[in-house]
Amino acid sequence: MAQQDLINSIVREVMAEINGGEKTVSVGSRPSGGKLNHKSDYPLAKKRPDLVKTPSGRTLDDITLDRVVSGEIKAEDIRITAEALEYQAQIAESADRPQLARNMRRAAELTKVPDVRILEIYNALRPNRSSKEELMAIADELQNKYSACVTADFVREAATVYEKRDVLKKDW
Amino acid sequence: MAKRQKRFEVLDAREVNQDGFVTEWAEVGLIAMASPSDPKPSVRVQNGVIVEMDGVKREDFDFNDQFIADHAIDASVSEQMMAIPTIEIARKLVDINVSRTEVAKIFSGLTAAKIAGVMDSLNIVEMAMGIQKMRARRTIGNQAHATNLQDNPVLMAADSAEAGFYGFSEIETTVAVFNYGPFNALALLVGGQVGRPGILSQDALEESIELELGMRGLTAYAETVSVYGTEQVFVDGDDTPWSKAFLAGSYASRGIKMRFTSGTGSEVQMAYANGMSMLYLEIRCVMITKGAGVQGLQNGSISCIAVPAGVPGGIRAVLAENLVTTCLDLEVASGNDQTFSHSPIRRTARMMGQFLAGTDFIFSGYSAVPNYDNMFAGSNFDCTDYDDYLVLQRDLKIDGGLRPVSEEDVIKVRNKAAKAMQAVFQQLGLPRITDEEVEAATYAFGSEDMPSRDKVQDTKAAQEMMKRGVTGVDVVVALAKGGFKDVAQSVLDLQKQRVSGDYLHTSAILDQNFNVISAVNDLNDYQGPGTGYRLEGERWKEVQNIRTAITPEDI
Repeated sequence: MAQQDLINSIVREVMAEINGGEKTVSVGSRPSGGKLNHKSDYPLAKKRPDLVKTPSGRTLDDITLDRVVSGEIKAEDIRITAEALEYQAQIAESADRPQLARNMRRAAELTKVPDVRILEIYNALRPNRSSKEELMAIADELQNKYSACVTADFVREAATVYEKRDVLKKDW
Repeated sequence: MAKRQKRFEVLDAREVNQDGFVTEWAEVGLIAMASPSDPKPSVRVQNGVIVEMDGVKREDFDFNDQFIADHAIDASVSEQMMAIPTIEIARKLVDINVSRTEVAKIFSGLTAAKIAGVMDSLNIVEMAMGIQKMRARRTIGNQAHATNLQDNPVLMAADSAEAGFYGFSEIETTVAVFNYGPFNALALLVGGQVGRPGILSQDALEESIELELGMRGLTAYAETVSVYGTEQVFVDGDDTPWSKAFLAGSYASRGIKMRFTSGTGSEVQMAYANGMSMLYLEIRCVMITKGAGVQGLQNGSISCIAVPAGVPGGIRAVLAENLVTTCLDLEVASGNDQTFSHSPIRRTARMMGQFLAGTDFIFSGYSAVPNYDNMFAGSNFDCTDYDDYLVLQRDLKIDGGLRPVSEEDVIKVRNKAAKAMQAVFQQLGLPRITDEEVEAATYAFGSEDMPSRDKVQDTKAAQEMMKRGVTGVDVVVALAKGGFKDVAQSVLDLQKQRVSGDYLHTSAILDQNFNVISAVNDLNDYQGPGTGYRLEGERWKEVQNIRTAITPEDI
């Protein structure tokens, strides 16, 4: 898993650079020579506000009470981006918390999946809810539709274990 | 009995003798630690993969084994760490010359059976010493419950404000009646920020509803995401390590803090302990949490506390599970959150390990309402114990996370929270909150002091509020338009936390200026006298200043 995460993260970084950031924010002034560090860059909101942007490209300082009350800023503007989660993953890694970093990378991928679909996939992963084919289809969807490769592999892994441990949906 | 000895008659009437006790019964798992059926520690790694763990070969792994082996244990150091004698690891835990980092590194390679052995080598004082060093966040914290029998939203907002004012860093609610969930979340969000800007709130409900409230920004974190030590119990709980890990990623994807929940005794209670000790099974839960990449865990038996409390050494095992959580570098919200004994002496003794050592959240939580209103079946301490707790902090010079408050100030914050709730209800078109209700909530002891509300109308409105898609941002607007700009700003600042993700890190809480304090920028550095968190300066003065202390001027 760790290696796969690393590869996926590298791919994502390269893609981000090619695209100049997805439809959302440009990666901007990230430190040259690599990854963020918990000692110098955390908390991001205080130490690296330049890296913290909403999906619509606003900074934290842009989110003011007046703008919220006037309706200029809406709930969907106050969300975390895949980039911010990747930065937080780097901070977790530098603090020697690899599992936390991995969860943040899965989370970065899931930022693109709509709320309703998230809840459905969670329910599908519960025991005795899905056939192996259904879980594999979810994995393909995550990979193809949302470029969520790490999470897709995680769902495939679940499908394999569920089969072995007999917690797939039973055919009646 | 023919003739009673008078002392025994008195003893029989004591509270402690209303408690339930059982002798050890290892076959069904009624044993706190070191069951004869607990596996013997072992690990074998091939090509970077764990192929044998605690005597079980990879092909025979159940899903918990496999999740732990593949996600929780660092296979690259496992054989090396497992080779360290158990007693030596136990000694490193209490040795002030060995750093937290070094101990955490060792634990990253250990199996559940090895960890169980380390725990069994420690007496309870050594366990507390271990927590003092291994707790992730340097600064102590505490969590409160705010619920009531009627799900009265005005009272709940006032109670949340009072809890915040006492100094809790987190506040948790749940429902008496299922459909009230959204209103309760709203009450904590609004009331909590009135009491102390930066307090984090949550609403313990069914997993997917809890997630939905979080996504809407009506809660700031989640906790009631249970994991279990045996495969059968996990399935009975309608989840797997993978579904729970996916849920963890889902929360983080919306920038929301979360922790898992587990505790000794749950497997026995659900009748599938397979003869293994409560602590061994709980250690597996802690490892699953770690493997899922979740920043922290609520444990310390939690709702099953009556089970370990009934067997010999059970309360020691409960402290051990908290310690294991810290050793695996996770945030610990350390229980003390359910009534388990009729005896006040026993209730106080039960929380001493966490209280003396200091944890990320000593209670999870402390009942900020009278226990009759506590919908988590009552907590170990409630609002009638506040002054006892404050005196204990002062007597022992311990930071238990609370501060003395005055009656006058509490009346003020309760009233403001009730009024803010009234304004939000009006702005959001929810059923009216009367001035009479605001007044009652301000001065109430509990829900018995509140005028009754139309529950059919309330629950209907609560469901409709969800259908309408009301979000935390709508609450901000409602507060601002209702004349509570400062509270609106606090609720907005809370929403903004989910943009940076800083509070997704281990043991994160917010100060009253919404600065994140976590085990990243406030990592516990205890290494003996003169190091780590010390109760001193202004904070110690604050703790001293209980409202019943007389000063020389008084005399």
